[in-house]
Formats: sequence, C-alpha cells, structure tokens
Amino acid sequence: MDFTFTDDQLLFCKSVQEFLQQEVTPAAVRKSWELDTGRSDERWQQLVNLGVTAMLVPEQFGGLGMNELDFVLLAQACGQVALPEPLVETALVATPLLATLAQRDSRCASLLEKIATGERKIAIGHAANNLVCDAHVADFLLLPSGNQIHLVPRDQVKLVAQASVDPSRRLFAVEWSANDETCLVSGPEGVALLAATLNRGALGAAAQLIGLAEAMVQMTVKYTSDRHQFGKPIGSNQALKHHMANCAVKIEFAKPTLYRAAYTVSKRPVHADFAVSHAKVAAGEAALLAAKNSIQSHGAMGYTWECDLHIFMKRAWALDKFWGHAGFHKSRLHQWLMNPNAKIGADKTFGEQVA
Amino acid sequence: MKLSFSAQDEAFRQEVAGWLQANLTGEFAQLKFRGGPGDEHMFQAERQQWERKLAQGGWTCVGWPKQYGGRGCSIEQQVIFFEEYARAGGPGRVGHIGEGLAGPTIIAFGTDAQKQKYLPGIVAGTELWCQGYSEPGAGSDLANVKTRARFDAQKNKWLLNGQKVWTSLAHEADYIFVIARTDPESSAHKGLGFFLLKMDQPGITVRPIQQITGTCEFNEVFFDDAECAADDIVGKPGDGWKVAMGLLGFERGVSTLGQQMQFQNELNEIIAVAKQNGADKNPVLRQRIAKAHAELKIMRYNSLRMLSGQSGSDGSLQKEALIYKLFWATWHRDLGELAMDVMGPESQILEAEPYQLNRLQALYLFTRSDTIYGGTNQIQRNIIAERGLGMPKEPRG
Repeated sequence: MDFTFTDDQLLFCKSVQEFLQQEVTPAAVRKSWELDTGRSDERWQQLVNLGVTAMLVPEQFGGLGMNELDFVLLAQACGQVALPEPLVETALVATPLLATLAQRDSRCASLLEKIATGERKIAIGHAANNLVCDAHVADFLLLPSGNQIHLVPRDQVKLVAQASVDPSRRLFAVEWSANDETCLVSGPEGVALLAATLNRGALGAAAQLIGLAEAMVQMTVKYTSDRHQFGKPIGSNQALKHHMANCAVKIEFAKPTLYRAAYTVSKRPVHADFAVSHAKVAAGEAALLAAKNSIQSHGAMGYTWECDLHIFMKRAWALDKFWGHAGFHKSRLHQWLMNPNAKIGADKTFGEQVA
Repeated sequence: MKLSFSAQDEAFRQEVAGWLQANLTGEFAQLKFRGGPGDEHMFQAERQQWERKLAQGGWTCVGWPKQYGGRGCSIEQQVIFFEEYARAGGPGRVGHIGEGLAGPTIIAFGTDAQKQKYLPGIVAGTELWCQGYSEPGAGSDLANVKTRARFDAQKNKWLLNGQKVWTSLAHEADYIFVIARTDPESSAHKGLGFFLLKMDQPGITVRPIQQITGTCEFNEVFFDDAECAADDIVGKPGDGWKVAMGLLGFERGVSTLGQQMQFQNELNEIIAVAKQNGADKNPVLRQRIAKAHAELKIMRYNSLRMLSGQSGSDGSLQKEALIYKLFWATWHRDLGELAMDVMGPESQILEAEPYQLNRLQALYLFTRSDTIYGGTNQIQRNIIAERGLGMPKEPRG
C-alpha cells in the first residue's frame, strides 16, 4: 500500500507548475480574453516544449508513454492558474482515446505524433456536454454519433460560438454529418470508449476544480490578512477563519478521491465509474464552497470585475457542470452502491468494486 | 391576531390593481418584471418615466404621511400595494432610495425647510437619491469613515472631502446623503454628521465600478471640496451616527415587502423553467424548490409580524427584525444557485455577446453580493448575538 506520488511524478508536476504560476498570471488570463481566439499560440507552444501534450502519447508515436495518474497533478496545477488553453482536454481526455485506436488506424497514429510536437491540435465532444471546448483552434475534432466516434477535420464542420459566463471559455455547437470515412470506431467498442472518455473528462474537471479551490483559498487568505477593519486584519475574526477552514477540509478530503480515481482510471478503466464520480462530486463541492466563502470573505471587492477572484469562480461554476453535473455523478454513485453485487464491505476499500 | 384584510382594504386592492392594469401598458409594457436584482441597469430612462407616472397616480411614497405628500396608507394597505405591484410585474423602482431611505430619514430627523426642499421631488418621482456610507476603509467597520466635512464660514457652506464606494445608482442620482466626519479629532461613532448634497457639482466625481455581471450598478464617489448648504445637515454635527442608524431601521422595515414580492416573481420564473426543461421531475431539485417556497413564506410571515408590532418613531426596530437581513440574503443567494442548477449546463451560456446574461444568470451573479452589502452575514450574526442575545461583544480593534 502506497497512496503517494513518486518523486518523478512530483518533480515533473513541480516544473510544469512553476511554469504555469510564472506565465499564466491573472493578468495574462485577462489578456487572453481580449484575443480573437481567446488563446495564446505562444503559450501553447511553450506547453508543448515542456512535453505535456506528449505525456499520454505512447512512446512509439513520439510521446512519453505516461498515464492518467502521472497527469492528474498537472491537471490540478492547470486549475490553480485557471489556464485558458485546453491542455487537460487535449492531453488527458483526447490523446488516450487516439492512442487506443492508433495501432490499427494510421490517422490516429499520425495525429498523435503531431499533437506531441504541437503541429496539430485536437478538440473533443461527448454526449455529456452539449458543446465542444476550443473547437475553433483545433485542426481535428473527435465527435460522438450514437455508438460511433468520428475524427473530423475542422473545415468539414460548422461551428457556432456559444459565449460562456466564464470569459476564458470558448464553447461551440458543432454542426456536422457523420460518414463512413470519418468513423473511427462503432458498436460496443465505441460505447466503451465513449464511457472511458467521459471518465477521463470528469477526472480532468475534478482535478481542475480542486486546483481552482486551492487558488481561491490562497487568494482569500492573503486578502483577509491584508485587509483591516476595526483596526485589525479581518482574517483574525473567527467567522472568516472558519470559512477558510471549512474550505480546507473540503479540499483535503476531495484530493484522495481524485488521486484514487486517477489511479483506477489508469489501472482498471472499466471499473472507474464510481471512483470518478466520487471525485467529481467531492471536487465540485470543494470548489463551489471555496467560491462562495472566498467571495464572502472578500466583501464587496469579491463581486467586482476588477478583482481576480471571478476568473477562478466562474471557471469553477462552469466545470462543476461540465463532463456530468453533480446530479449525474451522484446518480452514478447511488446506482453503483445499490447494485446487488456491489462489493462495499470493510475490506473492499481498494479492491475490485463490481462483481 | 387577524390574518385577513378588511372589505375596505380589499377595495383598496382593486384600486391598485385597476390602476396598474390601466397604466402599465403601452410604452411601459416593456418594463414588466424588469429592473430587479442584476437587472438594475436596464431601462433606466424608461423607469424614471414610470416613476413619474406612478407619482401622477399618487402611487409613490404610499406609506408616507399625507402631510408630506404621501398617501398615508396603513401597513395593511402598503402590504397590498406591494403585492399588487409585484403581481402586475411592476418594474424595479428607481426612486426606492429616496422613498425608502432618504425621505423617511428627513421626515424623522429633518427640519421643516429640509422637508419642504426635498420631499416633493421624491414624491413626484423626479429626484433620485443615492446613499454615501461605505468607504474603502469603512465597510463592515462603517463608523471608520474618513470623509471630512469642514464648515467654511466665508462661503457659509460645508465642504466635504473624501471618498465613498459601492454607491448604488450614484451615476443616476440627483442627490446623495453622506455621513462624514465633522470633528477631525474624533473617531468611530462620535463626531459624524449627516449631509444632503446635490450630485451635479464640480466637487463630486462619480466613477462606475464594474461587477462580475459585467454591468455597473454601483460606483466610487469622490468629494473634492464638494459643497453642502449650511442648513443641509440633518441633525447637529455629531449626530450623524444616530441619524444613519435610524435610517438603517427604515432600510430593514417596510421596504422589505416589495423585495419579497420580487423574490416571489423570481421563484416563479425558476419554477417555470423547471417545468419547461424537465428539472421539475428531479426529486432533489423539487425538494430545493419546495424549501425555497417554504422559506419565502417564513420571511413574509415574519415581515408582517414585524410590521404589525409597534416600532419606534425613530425607526428603531424590535428584536425579531435583527434576523431579517441574514435570512433573506442567504435565502436569495441560495435561490441564485437553485436557478443555475435548474437551468443545468445551459446556465453557462450567455444570452448574447458581449457578456449579456439572461435574467436568471444575472440573478445568480448578483446574489453573490446579497450576503455582503448592507452588512455582511458575519456582521449580522454578531448583531444577533450581541444586540439580540446580549452576548459579550467581540473585541474590536
């Protein structure tokens, strides 16, 4: 039993985290709001150079051959800075799907190589989301159609932009028609791959939600230490301390569910539903509480556009409802729990969960 | 106890409903259900016209005594007025700060000259007010105001210097009431004055503050030798805190009735969306909707109970009034969350660019502020514990 990350995993995360903290400041995020695409090509290339788009690409296709567990801390780090670019959806959600199909489909193999080098970008749709993130900057889109998954060049689809409450997000309704040529997989295998995609999507969202929650608490601790009323820092009031302490409890209790889910997704993806849903619910609760308590602790500053808090709050509100909202994931949890064969005994914490 | 309205009151109800039906039409029809929380920036000019229309019908300041131009309505009639106004979809009132706060304060504490000068414009719906209380360093610690008022004998005027912040509708208002320090040596509640100033003057600069809704409902207001006539101080220099606190009593009194009707309309809209998109089939959301309904009724019962009782002529409130801000603010913030959960993933998509929110999104984002402005939930709990329950005071400073 070892419920910790390896030194290598921690080291890799730390180097990327340092880059993100340095480059993706709130000012930089606001700057990207002003760009037509909302995205910085330069920043994307820097991420590519760090190797993060290649992390889950198999070595034979020029990647690092790592897995979801290796990536989960990075996804959390992306949340900590509210990264506008679709790194999590690219590296954690889309590339493993392409990797599964790459052995028999040269299109996927070639695309993987180019995602690793930054020559191509990918966006991914799923029935759980009615819109596709960052389709406008992608060269190809992975799109579901019933039990099929299609790989469609962007110039063969029509994108209708749907502005988001979170100014960093770029969402699109995609109008397209499926044909045999674009179809990568169908039937039961398609269903299984779509299910696995949903789990990776929810895992990535959960990780970012925890990162966002951490960032909001950190900002608020600083603000309540600096802001004085009644001649003392407002953070010296128990009422505000307890607000932040409640957030800390939620966050710390959400982390093990996230890491457990990442482990299960990487080792036993077909049995990951319950673990992923647990993580998504716990992370969503942590992020929503952090948003609520942080805005409250910031007083009126917290609901101004000028205060950076809303960059993180709005992302949290958005991701909580993306890749399955809390109701969806709670339903999956209780369905699993009420399964007559569910292995829920005291000795089953980490064992196989379904007969 | 008698939980029904008299025949006379019911006749009054017919009168209100009839007038609204006849007048909230034509050019004003577009204002129905508009201008509420998160929507205050909409139809400003048209709503000012509407305020005048109301005044022509005698429907502004309905609770004010007749001698000051009000309608002299009983509490029951005011309740009825607000109910009917909401039912008809009457728009958010641009004159509410004058009618609910400035006017009652002037009536309670002002001189005859001040009453003659200021009340008619409020009653006529032609003069709008804003409230200059909070400052960058005086939020929860409201008594820590640094804006100074110095009497200039030569000009025979008070000159104000300093800054207010979070001043709602300052960009639309004709007048502002301000608490400022008359005694520069003083601190906290002592040495403050309560001043009435014209907004349109060289000494006042208004800078809008953008909110997370993308709109600007409140402002920073800068005073740079802003002038206030010698007789436009309410009470004596040093009385400012007493006057201001009396006003907060009015803020949490009758004006809450209209607010609850607004809440009812919002809840109705959420229920309509739930019925439309199927969220009404979801047992968790059904429970939350029922809870919201139950708690709104509690608020309403409590307000009516509060208003039925005797309150002091200075606007002082009974103990049960202390809980009100905490209750409604938290309820309303939760209502925003309920609205988003009922909308589901659709809640993330803007109505249009640039940053145009639909009404429920605006409600959600705006209600993040409810538990903060006008006394945060934390301050409210301190008040309940200290003033309501008599618990020891938290060390301050």
